[in-house]
Amino acid sequence: MKRALITGITGQDGSYLAEFLLEKGYEVHGIKRRASSFNTERVDHIYQSPHAGSKRFQLHYGDLTDTSNLTRIIQEVQPDEVYNLGAQSHVAVSFESPEYTADVDGLGTLRLLEAIRFLGLEQKTRFYQASTSELFGLVQEIPQKESTPFYPRSPYACAKLYAYWITVNYRESYGMYACNGILFNHESPRRGETFVTRKITRGMANIAQGLEPCLYLGNMDALRDWGHAKDYVRMQWMMLQQETADDFVIATGQQITVREFVKMSAAEAGLEVEFSGEGIDEIATVTGVTDHERAPEVSVGDVIVRVDPRYFRPAEVETLLGDPTKAKDKLGWECEITVEEMCAEMVANDLEQARCHALLKLHGHSVSFAVE
Amino acid sequence: MTSNFQLHSSNAPPPLALITGITGQDGSYLCELLLSKGYVVHGLVRRNSSTTRARLDPIFQDKEVYGKRLFLHYADLDDVTTIRRLLTKIQPDEIYHLAGQSHVGTSFEIPESTCEFTAMGTLKLLEIIRDLAKRPRFLQISSSEIFGRPTASPQNEHTPMRPVTPYGVAKAFATSMTCLYRESFDLFACNAICYNHESPRRGESFVTRKITQAAAAISVGLQDKLKMGSLDARRDWGYAPEYVVGMWQILQQNNPDDYVLATGVDHSVQEFLQTAFEAVGLDWKDHYEVDQRFIRPAEVNMLVGDPSKAWQRLGWKPQSDLASIVRSMVDADLLLINRNRFPNCAVASQAWTSPPNASSGKS
Repeated sequence: MKRALITGITGQDGSYLAEFLLEKGYEVHGIKRRASSFNTERVDHIYQSPHAGSKRFQLHYGDLTDTSNLTRIIQEVQPDEVYNLGAQSHVAVSFESPEYTADVDGLGTLRLLEAIRFLGLEQKTRFYQASTSELFGLVQEIPQKESTPFYPRSPYACAKLYAYWITVNYRESYGMYACNGILFNHESPRRGETFVTRKITRGMANIAQGLEPCLYLGNMDALRDWGHAKDYVRMQWMMLQQETADDFVIATGQQITVREFVKMSAAEAGLEVEFSGEGIDEIATVTGVTDHERAPEVSVGDVIVRVDPRYFRPAEVETLLGDPTKAKDKLGWECEITVEEMCAEMVANDLEQARCHALLKLHGHSVSFAVE
Repeated sequence: MTSNFQLHSSNAPPPLALITGITGQDGSYLCELLLSKGYVVHGLVRRNSSTTRARLDPIFQDKEVYGKRLFLHYADLDDVTTIRRLLTKIQPDEIYHLAGQSHVGTSFEIPESTCEFTAMGTLKLLEIIRDLAKRPRFLQISSSEIFGRPTASPQNEHTPMRPVTPYGVAKAFATSMTCLYRESFDLFACNAICYNHESPRRGESFVTRKITQAAAAISVGLQDKLKMGSLDARRDWGYAPEYVVGMWQILQQNNPDDYVLATGVDHSVQEFLQTAFEAVGLDWKDHYEVDQRFIRPAEVNMLVGDPSKAWQRLGWKPQSDLASIVRSMVDADLLLINRNRFPNCAVASQAWTSPPNASSGKS
């Protein structure tokens, strides 16, 4: 039985990857940080009690800033594959907390590679590094492929750039099977609530159910290449099953603006909207309600999206579009879920939660939920 | 005794500079340069059980300087609170960030602390500067190692980074962060992308210094063989005292920008070896032995810089050729050997540490 170790197992990708690997027959180990509140809701459904018989899914307390702890876990697990998905993964937050971001995202990767080397597992353990399209930042060509020069535009991207190169360096210097998946944005109902897609689908669902009046966004002109996380974790696994290690761009090859994603999400929530105004005065107004069951609390003429300059980044990344040709040609990987299907799944999920909240509210319970 | 370093005669307060890595090769030359230009210089130093700061000795001996125009402070690069306190108090006009784990070969042995000091140290400084009421100009000393295995030759400011050593990867990170803080937070933050630059003060574990020391030692019969790694690697070698002039010039421009500092000429390690042994009248082939231990896991091959932007915008142009650099190093190493043999010979210690007369460029 193959053993995999996943950092960031409690996140979106980690949870999908854990499910995928368990289906493939792996024994899956994950690293999670200690916190005073539970943070495992994405993997709770696959969690197995340590008191039960089979233990194909195990969590370890750990932290990417703790070298000895990482070394100890890898020693104990003796993994065939390590997937480094753990990171401070929010671009805007990285401007507020650059040092922590660099420590976890950049140095954390090095600590894992060093632990593998120290334990003499270079020939056994294959290493996957979650690289990102943010490396391309101020894009040097369109679309971006494996050979496109990088131009990072955030502390997050700079830290990920370090991680990218140190992964390449350990492959070249020590013959390790170590690869980078340069993943473009990938979303799902499990996406963190502060990421723009989830913020939008959740916002539309809450507005439709009368829980929030208006959604505030930053740069709506930003163009992104959005795929479904489920498709992308399959590719992460495929990258580690090849004869030789290599780096791949993982993307859909299609892009839309944030504004278009808002429209798409609104439609799924039963709303037609129209954008007007420019810059920080841009608004979206409801022009029609197509589904009164989904959106019982909204009227034509309601302004449901506004711009808040707080969400502008110090350095904007205007456009990201990936070219997944190499992944298709060499590994036969193809994206199966379209952005429309993904958006529908996300809104449906958020509507379900919003209905629960609305129902509680109707029965006099006070409902508070994080909006930031 | 009059000081080598005169203050500005005007009534304006002298400019304040802070140097990290002041005890190193570049830091010591830069310190001398800034003092000669009338600066008050603050340096950060690490606490160490031995307090030899040989490169700064001539300045320490100048009674008009140390404690009056040159101040050293204890602060490690990972000690954010101390550095923040010092910067808030000193309020420098310019920061020259030279400190780092600067040895490429060693970075394979201690990659984590290399990243901690070389990359994270830069980020921590940028973060503190971002919060200061009076933001100093900031120079990050980057390295040709960020190009590693370059896609183009010679390399300029637009050549994509392609590092191949833990040191190069850390420097690429620091370089990107410096650009980012310039673009995102409007800091006057610049990179000097320096190619190899040598001098008699070069650290003894670097290949060039190892060669000149060996040539000197072999010539007086103190050593027989020189064990080294590959001789094929080609490098663009300049003279350190000229490079610190370029560093200073970068911070005197109207706008912050990145500059390659290089000679534009490359030589093989073998040529360096040959030149050093010729300087003492020997044939290198009689004394060289290959040693696999010094072959790096991922060897960098062809690094040569294109300094035309520095020439056009700063008027900076290196003057010293390889032969004169090598000779200055071999001569200094010969004098050092004599000093050790004859400890009372005062001339020798001066030769190693005396301020250079090098000047460069149009300015």
